[in-house]
Amino acid sequence: MKRSKSGPVTVVVVSLYLLIPLLMTLVYSVFSKWSDILPEGFTLKYYWELFSDASFGVSLMRTVLISVMPIILTALVVLLAMYVIILYLPGLEKYIRILCTIPYAIQGVILAVSVLSLYSNAPGILSNRTLLLTGTYCVAILPYMYQGIQSSLLAVNAPRLIEAAQMLGAGRLYAFFRVVVPNILSGVIISAMLSASIIFGDFVIANTLGGNYFETAQIYLYQTLFASGQKTSAVIMVLFLLTLFISLIAFSLKKKERRQG
Amino acid sequence: MKKRKYYLAALIPFLILVTLFEILPLIMVIIRSFMPENAVGLTLAHYAHIFSTRLYQQAVINSVLVSAVSSVIGIAVAYLGAKAVYEGGPLLKHFFKTVLSLTSNFAGIPLAFAYIILLGKVGVLVLWGKMAGISALSDFNLYSIRGLLIVYIYFQIPLATLLMIPSFDAIRREWKESVSIMGGSSFTFWTKVGLPALRPAILGTISVLFANALAAYATAYALLQNNFSLIPIRLSEQFVGDITQHKEFGSALAVVLMVLMVALILINDAILKKGPLLSRSSRKNKEDES
Amino acid sequence: MSYIDFRSVNKSFGHNQVLRQINLSVEKGQLATLLGPSGCGKSTLLRCLAGLEEVNSGSIILDGEDITGKNPKDRNIGMVFQQYSLFPNMTVKDNIAFGLRLQKIPKDLIEEKVKRVIDLVDLKGKIKEYPQELSGGQQQRVALARSLVMEPKVLLLDEPLSALDAKLRKNLQAEIKKIHADTGITMLFVTHDQDEAMILSDVIHLFKDGQIEQSGVPTKLYTQPETRYAAEFIGHYNVLDKSEFDRMIGSGGESEIVIRNVQPCTSVAIRPETIEILAENDSDNQGIESASETHDRYMLPATVVDSTLHGNVLRYTFDVRGTRLHSDVLFRSFTLYPAGHKLMLSVEKRNCLRM
Repeated sequence: MKRSKSGPVTVVVVSLYLLIPLLMTLVYSVFSKWSDILPEGFTLKYYWELFSDASFGVSLMRTVLISVMPIILTALVVLLAMYVIILYLPGLEKYIRILCTIPYAIQGVILAVSVLSLYSNAPGILSNRTLLLTGTYCVAILPYMYQGIQSSLLAVNAPRLIEAAQMLGAGRLYAFFRVVVPNILSGVIISAMLSASIIFGDFVIANTLGGNYFETAQIYLYQTLFASGQKTSAVIMVLFLLTLFISLIAFSLKKKERRQG
Repeated sequence: MKKRKYYLAALIPFLILVTLFEILPLIMVIIRSFMPENAVGLTLAHYAHIFSTRLYQQAVINSVLVSAVSSVIGIAVAYLGAKAVYEGGPLLKHFFKTVLSLTSNFAGIPLAFAYIILLGKVGVLVLWGKMAGISALSDFNLYSIRGLLIVYIYFQIPLATLLMIPSFDAIRREWKESVSIMGGSSFTFWTKVGLPALRPAILGTISVLFANALAAYATAYALLQNNFSLIPIRLSEQFVGDITQHKEFGSALAVVLMVLMVALILINDAILKKGPLLSRSSRKNKEDES
Repeated sequence: MSYIDFRSVNKSFGHNQVLRQINLSVEKGQLATLLGPSGCGKSTLLRCLAGLEEVNSGSIILDGEDITGKNPKDRNIGMVFQQYSLFPNMTVKDNIAFGLRLQKIPKDLIEEKVKRVIDLVDLKGKIKEYPQELSGGQQQRVALARSLVMEPKVLLLDEPLSALDAKLRKNLQAEIKKIHADTGITMLFVTHDQDEAMILSDVIHLFKDGQIEQSGVPTKLYTQPETRYAAEFIGHYNVLDKSEFDRMIGSGGESEIVIRNVQPCTSVAIRPETIEILAENDSDNQGIESASETHDRYMLPATVVDSTLHGNVLRYTFDVRGTRLHSDVLFRSFTLYPAGHKLMLSVEKRNCLRM
């Protein structure tokens, strides 16, 4: 079968189209002037500015915090629910799946404004913006966490493993956490990484619910947009590298999993 | 011997989360969309307002237009890219998938900014265009529907291609060989066998792309702020910002957006279900006639 | 009273009744097989004994104790599954020691038991490996070891060899038989492969649609199936309708010597290896159109349709007055009768089983 010549060309063209804006941003962040064909004045001062700005570091930490919390919460919540579904009520799996797919249809701005309009004037703890933000992110990543956990459970044939453990004298709960969970851990972590990059890159939910109360890195970015162009590109590169780092972890885990399985 | 159903307790956290942050907000939005502002009762006034006011009509049209066009172009590029990978070697596949995964995260504000420095008023490409005398570049207005489209197309491509690449794996070599043995060309193969086999994947991907573009907020906001009418922009305006809140009207907008997102999925399903049956029954009719 | 007793066990999944009034006994130390096609309920019965499924009605007695409502973990029963179900995140040793550790047995005793069972299943040297690094046969042996080390009252095996290739199956069948002989443990085996059942079992229980069709020792089941279903399942019986049989032997009435006088008789089964081909050197085999009977045999004029070789067994397909008959002979000679060749067949009347 002949290998078509046009194949690699297409790939290269598309890759260039996709990579150029990214590269441009990088270039923009390390040059102070670009009014001619080529930029002038290589400098790293914009990065220095960035790292010496305390509010950037703080916003970054907030972003990390608001990514980690929902992931852990959602993972636990879904695992517990799947425990019941797998062992006792397999008939309910359909409904859980539907509940975990709805966030796709109400993603982004819809979810953000729905939660805001419902709880902004609510009594007590329900009006706490950080709580609302966490809860909303939990639901936003629900499809991805559920999908990852569900396919891992399927791949490892969880019901059969639990039965085998039972026949050896283990109770069901013990079997689930001692036998099933360790084996789906890598699948869970991969979904977690995907969810983390989603939360990292989200603007609309953070802006709508967090706004002035909880300034995340993306909100910081938006504000920088109107200040300095080069600083903005520096922020973008830092955030991009962070997201890249997360993806690399997920990728190396996937490789390890494939080697094991 | 009845066993106590203690295990049901493990479902509670899930139910709490989903009820508080998914079900209740959803229901409230739907109900609120039918309530008049600051009063009790049921009304369709908000929906009427959306479809009769120029501002919101424009928002709906723009959203659907931008989403549809970016989806179609996105999937066309994805098809070509996935096909290239399918016909290429594993090295090419690995390289392309890496590039795609890398750039799939590049969306929202970062993407808008990148295009501003490329094609904005003083963008690099615009400057080069001025110097080289290429009016297409020097006169390019990023802050228009065309500019928006270009940016939207950008973030549709990685998503679409990553979704399409695995579907090509389903196309078996033997099919191609059978077609060429029967005397068909590569073109014949793709039009008669390949594309029909890919149809479910293509339709499914278009749904995802369409929903993705419809709901996109950050990219449009970063580029055009509130100056361009799109449903998510108008929607967010009703709840956040300087002007007073219009919760009920905003809810109606949200419902319209949701309906649009679900609509394409339903159309898809209908096409997929009908597809083969349609051709079979029409063929049968022809036979009966002869 | 037997070691294991199923009493009037019924089990349904929704509207589908899978087990109907099952009454079955297994003696201590027996290797009993539940045999039948897919969906006949044999695996379900096994799982009911294990406690993984609850019975709708009836009771299960094990070693004098009614275990019907008990949790699987309290039943002291071992089980080996078709897909092995080894724990992927644990080594062979950890897999085997899993149950022992749950019982909080002292470490050195665990070491000893694990070592002993590894010798028993012939897995020396694999103790530190992970399941994914082992072959199918090795994985199944780990599964066996894991259950055996618990010294259960009964060992259940749910089609454990179905996922293996033919040669490996033969090896493991021999291993299982050896383990049974060495340990004397009561085993309940489920399979759809009748050859496997024949090789391994002390007793076979043939299942049909949630009920037991026939039980017995392998040879009895093989030589004396009681129903058409049993005959069609076991061995390679020729199963004929009564009318076909009558037409073949050429008489309208019943013949005298029968093993079983079953009324009403609807089918007749004949084992292929009991059909003899008379030596060809009687030159007057041509022209014998009518069947003749001797006192205890039928003589049947036949035409060869075709022949196939199964290993060292030659299977002929004959046409006897419009009825197809298979005959198996050990391929001793070099002669292969071609299609169209006319022969005389002879079969003892008592080998024509009426059912």
